[in-house]
Amino acid sequence: MTTRNTSITGADSSREGGAGGSALSCRGVSKAYRIYDKPWHRVAELLLPGKRMHREYWALRNVYLDIPHGATVGIIGENGAGKSTLLKVLTGITRPTEGTVAVHGRVSSLLELGAGFHPEFSGRENIRLACSILGMSDEEIAERYPKIVEFSELADFIDRPVKTYSSGMYVRLGFAVASSVDPDILIIDEALSVGDEHFKGKCINRLNEFREQGKTTIFVSHDMGAVKTMCQWVVLLDRGEVLEQGTAEKVADEYLKRAKARGNERLSAINRGTNQYPRWGTGELLTEEIEMLDAQGNAGHVFKTGEPFRVRVHWTAHKAARNPVFGLGMYRSDGTYVNGANHHWRRQPIVLEEVQAGETGVVEMRFDAMPLLAGQYYLTTFLYDHSKAAPTAIDHREHAVTFEVVDAERMQHGMLFLPSHWSVERKRGTEVLRAESEA
Amino acid sequence: MYALLRSLRTNRRLLLDLVGRDLKARYVGSTMGFFWSVIFPLLNLLVYMFVFSFVLKTRWGSQSNEETALVMLCGILVWSAFAETVSRSTNTLIENQNLIQKVVFPSEVLPVYLTLSALVNMLIGVVIALAAIAWYAWIAPVDVAQPELSTSVRQIGYGVALCALPVLMALQALFTLGLGLFFATLNLFVRDVYHLMGVGLSVWMFLTPIFYPAKAVEAAGLGWVLTINPMYWLIDSYRLVLMYDEWPRPPVMAAFAAVAVVVFCIGSAFFMRHKPRFPDLM
Repeated sequence: MTTRNTSITGADSSREGGAGGSALSCRGVSKAYRIYDKPWHRVAELLLPGKRMHREYWALRNVYLDIPHGATVGIIGENGAGKSTLLKVLTGITRPTEGTVAVHGRVSSLLELGAGFHPEFSGRENIRLACSILGMSDEEIAERYPKIVEFSELADFIDRPVKTYSSGMYVRLGFAVASSVDPDILIIDEALSVGDEHFKGKCINRLNEFREQGKTTIFVSHDMGAVKTMCQWVVLLDRGEVLEQGTAEKVADEYLKRAKARGNERLSAINRGTNQYPRWGTGELLTEEIEMLDAQGNAGHVFKTGEPFRVRVHWTAHKAARNPVFGLGMYRSDGTYVNGANHHWRRQPIVLEEVQAGETGVVEMRFDAMPLLAGQYYLTTFLYDHSKAAPTAIDHREHAVTFEVVDAERMQHGMLFLPSHWSVERKRGTEVLRAESEA
Repeated sequence: MYALLRSLRTNRRLLLDLVGRDLKARYVGSTMGFFWSVIFPLLNLLVYMFVFSFVLKTRWGSQSNEETALVMLCGILVWSAFAETVSRSTNTLIENQNLIQKVVFPSEVLPVYLTLSALVNMLIGVVIALAAIAWYAWIAPVDVAQPELSTSVRQIGYGVALCALPVLMALQALFTLGLGLFFATLNLFVRDVYHLMGVGLSVWMFLTPIFYPAKAVEAAGLGWVLTINPMYWLIDSYRLVLMYDEWPRPPVMAAFAAVAVVVFCIGSAFFMRHKPRFPDLM
């Protein structure tokens, strides 16, 4: 939540007026943080100005940005990519080490909703104080106060101390104050992921109003889907550098590719440690490696919604067994059971009458299209003895593999992609118009 | 320093709001509210009177108990405003890091509002002290110990010399703020400063003649400790003005003013120089 109307200049660069038509521009902005190995190194450096006792960590390197008036721009990157630092530099909270930032207009940033609220004070007093922190005059506060209260829908609680508010109410008050500044440039840092659906809707309406008034919005997130629905232009940050910028579609592909690579790295580390989950059974046969393959046959743990994939379970028989059946259970990371199936309970069952000791093999389950939407999921493998009336476990492995689904299209929300057909009918007097959508 | 003053001018609204908030916070949370600012110094006074005058039998010469109590009260009021401000200022940047890191915030208002709020609080105490002084001056007069080498007769009471009070308070504010700005900045570099501050301030308090007569120090041959202690100069001047209707001694005032200005310049320069780095130092 900041208001400013100036241009910030880094320590080692020349002053610059700023580009003509842009609301915000960065010229070769870099930011280094000093890292001290020992706390006293800081003091030593303070006392002996000539001496260098720190290492430098470059959170941003040579960033060039030109954001025109009225644009809605998304800044996206993984944790640690430099998003927060870039925001702090853009809002003027911290100065770039090199390069210049030019801002034309009043900036309001929603880096932290309700920063500076005092828990002992009432909502009314906190609104006043927060507004004066934002640099409003008495008249401005008097004029905006009723609007803020109205927007926050907290009129009944406004004279109660903020410490009695729920976190949702706190955020509502924070957003109401921050967005009342009437900024030219609004910077949002994933602040909207909180609050209930009704209030979220109101926030989005307010943001849409800003856009319609031709104001500049910068939206920072690590959720590609959210950025894509909000922004026409996307900047992809990675390790402090602008990796790519362009239309949402173009950058989304690049982002997903990288997210997949990163996700695979992370998930294969997780999957190496899966023996922490329960596993039980009589053990005549044991499942071993579980591979997940994409359409091209590449092994990995990150898949796109809609792409074909296969699960291959390798097994070895240590003793003879009758009628073993392999199965697969799919769960969302919160434990929601999505699907369970095996090769026996089918219209065309596969029956393995007799398996001898020493045999090995592979069970494969193929899917034409990944039906899951973005999220983290896991597989449980079942291996049961179906020779008896009630199947008993030979090798049951809970949470055998963790995998992730990414979704760049965001055409549906929820857990599952359900193929559906739509039609819309309109009657205009006697005329009937009908539009159809097959996909 | 110029930048600091200009920022205070721009942010005077915010400053007033913060002072108001702080004064309210002192009294809002508790049921007794406002009365704490009356009761607290009096309780303090009782405890110190008991310890120093009755248990340790500090020799105040020919001074009556009533006069001793008033002398202590003046000292306590001034000292607590000073010590509280310096100690709170030292930690104020850390305490408000949320604001400094998330908002473009004029962090220099923080030590300033703490200083002002403590002074207002002290002023409430001073009004109560004046009431007590009026009681012993005009309703139930007590004998007053006469200073050596004095030509006029000293009496408890106040009058025109109260005109010096705003000057004393302004200089006190300058001195306190200078130290506050300095230690607030230093505390970002070394977090231990805040803890050292607690010890440092209590040592300083006991080196200042608040609970014992200055004469006792001089008698022990440690007069130089008083000579180099600006807080003694200040507290002693307050006593003259509030209790005896005497003007502060010009050389003492000049010395304190000089020290206050120098401390303020150093403190504000140090603060403003490192201010751009504050968000990075947290």
